[in-house]
Amino acid sequence: MSDLEPHFLQYMSATIRPLGMLKSYLGELKEATVEAGHSVLETLTTLGINPDLVAGVFVNNEQQSKDYILQDGDIVKLLAVIGGG
Amino acid sequence: MNGYGGTILRVNLTDGKISKELTPAQLARDFIGGRGFGIYFLFKEVPKGTDPLGPENKLIISTGPLSGMMAPGGGKCDWTTKSPLTGGYADASMGGHFTAEMKYAGLDTIILEGASAKPVYLFIDNEKIQLLDASSLWGKGAIDVEVELKHKYGEEYQIAAIGPGGENQVLYACINHDFGRQAGRGGVGAVMGSKKVKAIVLHGTKSVPVADLEAYRKAGMALYKACKDAEGLAEWSRYGTTIVTSWCNEVGALPTRNFSAGSFEGIDNINGQAMRKEIVITDKGCFGCPSPCGKYSNMKRYNTQVEGPEYETIGLMGSNLGIGDIQVIAEANRLADDLGIDTISAGSCIAWAMECYEKGILTKADTDGLELKFGNTEAVFTLIKKIAYREGKIGDLLALGVKQASQEVGKGSEKFAIQVKGMEQSAYATHNATAMLLAYMTCDVGAHHNRSWAITYDLQVGREKVVPEKVAHIIWLQNFRPMFDVFGSCRLQWVELGIDRDLYCPLLDAITGVKRSWQDLEAVGNRIWNLTRMYWVRENEGFGRDWDLPATRFYTEPPKTGVTAGQITKFEDVQRLLDMYYEQRGWDNNGLPTQATLETLNLTTLVA
Amino acid sequence: MRLYADSAKCSGCRACLVACSLNLFQESNPKKASLNLIPHFPNPGVFEMKVCTQCGDCAAVCPTEAIKLNDRGAYYVDFAECNLCEACVPECPEDVMFVRTELANAAWKCDLCGDCVSVCGTSALWIAN
Repeated sequence: MSDLEPHFLQYMSATIRPLGMLKSYLGELKEATVEAGHSVLETLTTLGINPDLVAGVFVNNEQQSKDYILQDGDIVKLLAVIGGG
Repeated sequence: MNGYGGTILRVNLTDGKISKELTPAQLARDFIGGRGFGIYFLFKEVPKGTDPLGPENKLIISTGPLSGMMAPGGGKCDWTTKSPLTGGYADASMGGHFTAEMKYAGLDTIILEGASAKPVYLFIDNEKIQLLDASSLWGKGAIDVEVELKHKYGEEYQIAAIGPGGENQVLYACINHDFGRQAGRGGVGAVMGSKKVKAIVLHGTKSVPVADLEAYRKAGMALYKACKDAEGLAEWSRYGTTIVTSWCNEVGALPTRNFSAGSFEGIDNINGQAMRKEIVITDKGCFGCPSPCGKYSNMKRYNTQVEGPEYETIGLMGSNLGIGDIQVIAEANRLADDLGIDTISAGSCIAWAMECYEKGILTKADTDGLELKFGNTEAVFTLIKKIAYREGKIGDLLALGVKQASQEVGKGSEKFAIQVKGMEQSAYATHNATAMLLAYMTCDVGAHHNRSWAITYDLQVGREKVVPEKVAHIIWLQNFRPMFDVFGSCRLQWVELGIDRDLYCPLLDAITGVKRSWQDLEAVGNRIWNLTRMYWVRENEGFGRDWDLPATRFYTEPPKTGVTAGQITKFEDVQRLLDMYYEQRGWDNNGLPTQATLETLNLTTLVA
Repeated sequence: MRLYADSAKCSGCRACLVACSLNLFQESNPKKASLNLIPHFPNPGVFEMKVCTQCGDCAAVCPTEAIKLNDRGAYYVDFAECNLCEACVPECPEDVMFVRTELANAAWKCDLCGDCVSVCGTSALWIAN
């Protein structure tokens, strides 16, 4: 392949779906598509979501820490705990 | 009376007399049920200055209009008494299926009065109500007692039992039910033990009348639909309250080594994920609950089972003790449950003792040879047993609760007794979180989080801010959240799933026939709040502002490690919070409800 | 059509039982429900659900033909026709044929109303072919 031929890069991506009050961070959107390969914490910062307000991170329904590195195809739900205990 | 069992049952343990009264309609109108009935009977019938462990104290068990109904979370009953731990008002909310069975037995309230000379259990089967000999049960763990009584009477019978902790009147002894639920805090189990009541066996087959059957069905179904449609339902049901564990660690709220810090290095082995991976087998729910928070667990290492640990126990018996192993925490939970002592208070007492030991304030001579260093698992297991049996110097000392224990030991240990009004603080570290700090300072049973929870709120507004809006938020929560305890239901469906609370109003209306908005309900909540405050005032000479101060640690010792390292609340801010709180509540500068406030709330006759 | 239950998802909350009794008897009384919820505690710590599979064995044995088909195509007890002979009870392979004379004057069973499914928060119950 020469350098002149187009390379179609396949982006690895994950979906971020904030729940409840966290939805306000995405405005009209229900979810955001983000680049995989970054930690949840980095991704929250990129999206402008205050990580302190994110009580639960669920990747494909399993709770993960904010250090979790997003994989291609991951669906990530973000939960805030408003009412508490 | 629509929505009610219709009867107040009085059981006099001294003379064995059992009597019934019709539930007064006016009581139902003014106090609705549950915690409302509890404080009414406590204030009215337990004489001023009563010894909490004496025969004049009463244990008042109440259902509410949602108990036993087709209502999400209609499974809570309220246990109210004068607390042997604090000397003030105590109530504990117990889940499971007991409250429903009380309604089906036609009972709104059971009042245990007097004291039996010999161990008994109360047997209730519709109209058949007896006090039976419990000498063969006395001494047994709560789990074995429940197994035995269910085997004897049948699976349908609901059991509430004390363990050795209650028998030995450990000041924070609890009451157990449904293999994993408790009336946990304030020493309600000690009061039951002081009356020599080992257990209550309950069975009822009646049905509860409702005002409007169709409207009831419709409103109940609407609430279930809201719960089932709630985002986060699956996540919440999977993890229960453990869902917040890692996050609390991240925001400095996880009690660590006797609340010396708010973050714990062993977090990955004690959070909800670790639990599901290692021990959880069943999501277990209370009556009517669509979002089961109970995590029934099997600990392979010990070959035992427990319902739990929930977040509170992970905090107080895990990170707070320097323990980073979920199986250890679960086994400690099981021991405490079976022996019948509150895991929160026990965890706090053990943590205090560990700090004393590490500082040389307690030595092996004081601890019966136990090496009470943070993280010592075997010492924790041994101590839980010693406390339940009041065994040895250390067991007897810690059975008093951390306030009295630290007063006895002295040597500055009072400064790290993490308690308010004598009740050990539950699992949110408040070094720099002023709304939650205020919540703990002003909760009406002592330092418990059930009335108002504001961790996220502090983070949204600014954790160190001391502003009237924070105070207003706490007051609103205190008038609102305990209304679920009045309804005889759980609050977690609203708290955790974020369903629209207005959905409860048509349900209550359809069941009771009394239309109430949340404004009306919060007014009842406010009234109850002032009444519980007046109970403290009545029972404690010189009660006032000093009693609302937080644990000294939270305004003197910034954490050295973790997310909140170096952060602490200033004492003048503690006082400012109280100034604003009293003003907004209509109390005087010492924290006593003013005459004007009592008049507005129509409480002057009751508190006279 | 019949009701299905996944015991592994059951949390023991009994909402299904209350919804059922409300449908069958217009009462909030879980003892008058037509599902069988069996707790196994403290060990192993699981709930077992048994539900009517609409097998029809009860109807086949009923001497008064009190067990009929409703417009959902499900067997139900016509209370007026039941003479409490209890022939149906041992026939039921799922133990969900109920006779308790202290509670009702007729046998009762699931009529496939679906209310239990509506209140089950863990999706342990569903109706299908």
